[in-house]
Amino acid sequence: MGRLTSGRAGKKFLAVTGLFAMGVMLLLPIFVALPALAGGGAPAAGGPPPDVVAAQEAEGAEGEEAKVEIGRDVYYKTEGPVVGAPAPKTQDTAEFYPRYNFESRVLLWVANQQHLYYGSFVLAVPIFCMCIEFAGLLSKDRAMAKKYDQLAYDFIKISLTAYSLTAILGGILIFTFLTLYPAFFGYLSSIFRPVMHIYALMFVAESGTLYIYYYGWDKMKEGLLKWLHASMSVVLNVIGTVLMFLANSWIGFMMSPAGVDEQGRYLGNIWHVIHTALWNPLNVHRILGNMAFGGGVVAAYAAYRFLSAKNDEERAHYDWMGYIAMALGVAFLIPLPFAGYWLMREVYAYRQQMGITLMGGLLAWLFIIQATMIGILFLTTNYYLWQALGRMTGGERFQRYIKYFVFILVVGLLVFITPHTIVMTPAELKAMGGQQHPVLGNYGVMSAKNGGINAIIMTTIASFIWYQRGNRVPAVKWAKFGNIFLITFFVVAHLNNIWVACYGYFIPANVRIGLSVPQVAGTLSCLFFGSALNLAMLKQSRELGPIRWGQIAPRSQYALIMLATAFTWMMGLMGYIRSSVRLFWHVNEIMRDNSPWAYTHTIGFGANVISFNVLFFWITIMFVFWLGALGAKKAPVPATQPVPGAAPQPATGH
Amino acid sequence: MTWLKLVEGYMPMQMISELAGSILVFALINWTLNRAGMGIPKFWAGVGVWIYIQLYLKYRIYPPIPFSVRAIYGTVSACGIFMWVSGSEDAWQEFKRPVMNVMDGISGFHKGMRTVALIVIPLALGGFAYNSFLPSFEEPIELRTVHPAPPATTKVHGKTFVLQVVENPYRVNNEGKYDQAYTDARIVEQAMGRLMKDVNDPNYNPWDPNAEGYTKYVREGGEIFFQNCHFCHGDNLNGRGLWAYAFNPIPANFTDAGTIAQLQETFVFWRVSKGGIGLPGEGFPWASVMPPWEQHLTVDEIWKVVMFEYWHTGYYPRTWD
Repeated sequence: MGRLTSGRAGKKFLAVTGLFAMGVMLLLPIFVALPALAGGGAPAAGGPPPDVVAAQEAEGAEGEEAKVEIGRDVYYKTEGPVVGAPAPKTQDTAEFYPRYNFESRVLLWVANQQHLYYGSFVLAVPIFCMCIEFAGLLSKDRAMAKKYDQLAYDFIKISLTAYSLTAILGGILIFTFLTLYPAFFGYLSSIFRPVMHIYALMFVAESGTLYIYYYGWDKMKEGLLKWLHASMSVVLNVIGTVLMFLANSWIGFMMSPAGVDEQGRYLGNIWHVIHTALWNPLNVHRILGNMAFGGGVVAAYAAYRFLSAKNDEERAHYDWMGYIAMALGVAFLIPLPFAGYWLMREVYAYRQQMGITLMGGLLAWLFIIQATMIGILFLTTNYYLWQALGRMTGGERFQRYIKYFVFILVVGLLVFITPHTIVMTPAELKAMGGQQHPVLGNYGVMSAKNGGINAIIMTTIASFIWYQRGNRVPAVKWAKFGNIFLITFFVVAHLNNIWVACYGYFIPANVRIGLSVPQVAGTLSCLFFGSALNLAMLKQSRELGPIRWGQIAPRSQYALIMLATAFTWMMGLMGYIRSSVRLFWHVNEIMRDNSPWAYTHTIGFGANVISFNVLFFWITIMFVFWLGALGAKKAPVPATQPVPGAAPQPATGH
Repeated sequence: MTWLKLVEGYMPMQMISELAGSILVFALINWTLNRAGMGIPKFWAGVGVWIYIQLYLKYRIYPPIPFSVRAIYGTVSACGIFMWVSGSEDAWQEFKRPVMNVMDGISGFHKGMRTVALIVIPLALGGFAYNSFLPSFEEPIELRTVHPAPPATTKVHGKTFVLQVVENPYRVNNEGKYDQAYTDARIVEQAMGRLMKDVNDPNYNPWDPNAEGYTKYVREGGEIFFQNCHFCHGDNLNGRGLWAYAFNPIPANFTDAGTIAQLQETFVFWRVSKGGIGLPGEGFPWASVMPPWEQHLTVDEIWKVVMFEYWHTGYYPRTWD
């Protein structure tokens, strides 16, 4: 026995040591690369242009001491030694823009978007896995813990195939850049050389961690090893997030360059180049967006499997999986508009004309489409939750109030999507008596729109609270007081929201922007305080009946598919908007795009390309799903859950 | 519906309140009828509410709402009604029952309805398709960019202005220093119309002979406005000047919350200086005949007239701090 114990302990020790060594090896390349980062990198690739070299050679005889030219940072306004070449001044020739008989920009657009879709998916899914695996670890109910573990495994299996595709699409993207936009990519890589190397090394670390995480699942399923396995998911996600931040620094630089002078010459401070005006807002917005998108895609997968299920067990399993994925996705969807608001605020602060191009000018109509998509996302979420009440005994007591929620949602959405620039015929324009409509014109500006979206979000939170209560009635002593308090809280938050939205018309813009804080605070209070209070009230609750997993109207599953499609479409749209706002610049105000495609597409053409991207992604992801389903193992969930004691219930835990 | 006016200043909330009130009345009627055992079938309730909303938008709101916006509102309200009628399984079954009855032809009446539907729906779709292919002599729809993005810098009378950072030199306090808050406190009040805060105080009344500093500059801006701008933009700055209706679109209405209230002062400075002809490509179609006022006014005059526009409308120029 003693030998057995010591043998096990030895194995554990070896396993821990092995894992530690693995972690060190994986992170080693990053530490090795750090000096390059700290040193700010070397001069730009290819050295200075020939005319500069010639001038330097001419000076060479007298130039024993190299003369260091000082440049001024276009954003930080600091001074630094010029160590890079100026941004190339391109011309519409094959040298700068080699091409096929097709629009190079569209080719790059498709390659970029597909890579982003898959990149987002493989960054988001491991975060879900981490959450679900920890939920399983913390669960006291062993059966439930096993189901969570199996679900996390199912998720990561899908992610693994998608990961290979992400890498392939990344390769295609780089080749597209190199072959179609060599001058621009050469310039960008000369600035970001150390970052690009670190990016590549991080990718290696990410791959290694992911493979060990996936293939080590069964070997590391008990005790300390399981905790190590779960910890590895944290490492995986940290690396993934840093990867995304690094990639974001490139697009941040293209939109709001820093760390270079007016000619685009690198000034030796790589942190300035990375940490541009829009980098952090982009980081936050993208991470939330990726999570919401990932949740939507997994929910669509579950919906598809639900609709094609052959028996009740399968239906129950995929109903549950769809619910979890949807709940995780929506949890990140709710703060997403606030992150978007911050990003836009920073865009306006960086360049007024960029903000106006986006929100009031050339791209404003695309923002109306975006608002419509956001509305679809929230309305679909509410619809799914109302349908889900149908699988709970007692859920029907809430369904009679749906019409009032619908009214708030519809009014909020109508205000949110009313365009500032109205499409009309000249005859309609004349009949209206001017470009601005005295009633609708007020809905077309930010003050009203903030009110609209906050009303929608608060209603969605209320639907979640309904859902949490679906089959339960609070039994705490203070239940009556709690209910009155909760209702009053939501009513006051709504009134505050409407009041601030109206008051916003009578105050300066800077005060109005500041007032969005109490507006958002009201909404977030509903989210955090309302949900927490509700959960506290449900700590002691009376069960009205079980959750009948799988017994949900098929409409709900179509809602999940719609949710995912709307996410995908919106992501494509926002990527296009973000990229288009640079107009005719490769790097804003630094490197001009002189290709024949440096114009803004019509809305119709843009929408067609976005739709193509969405369709292409869904066709390929179906292939990934099919691969994931090959040899799938599932832990069936009983069609009817027993009335549990203290066991965590997925329906109420999120 | 001209006898029941929308009240200026309250119109946006009035529209929402009227719609909310109507829905509540409908719900109350339906509840009463249900109690009396004569509830309206869900299908007809849904269709009825949708038709009511369309009629409300078309006939209640004045000036008329352009078709594109009514189409958006119609689609969203249809989606909302679908969410309501299919929110629960019972409601959905009730809603689709009349449709299924017609499809199944459960009685002679339903069979007749089915036949009518089978004839009318294809004909209607065919008619719609035919109409959409007919040549039209109407002017095409314009997706006009009302506020095109300004350039980063603009050159007026030989001087370059960086629009992101430049400040109105006349927006100053008593000490002659740029002071947004000081000047914001002295604009007219917006209530049921626009009123000066204190007509007897030279700090608030630009036409007081003792007005100095900011208020004096506002008066000078007003004089320039009434000498040059009011013919088109109107003496109430609402875009209804003497010549306004010679143009389509009519000149910008500064009293609307969607025009100068949304813009930085430097944007307005740039638009006034460069006029319609100076609009960037983004502003296509360039449906503005405003002259480039830099050819007629000095830089100082342009700044003063811009400041007057904000003073008179009671709006604050957009700032970022």
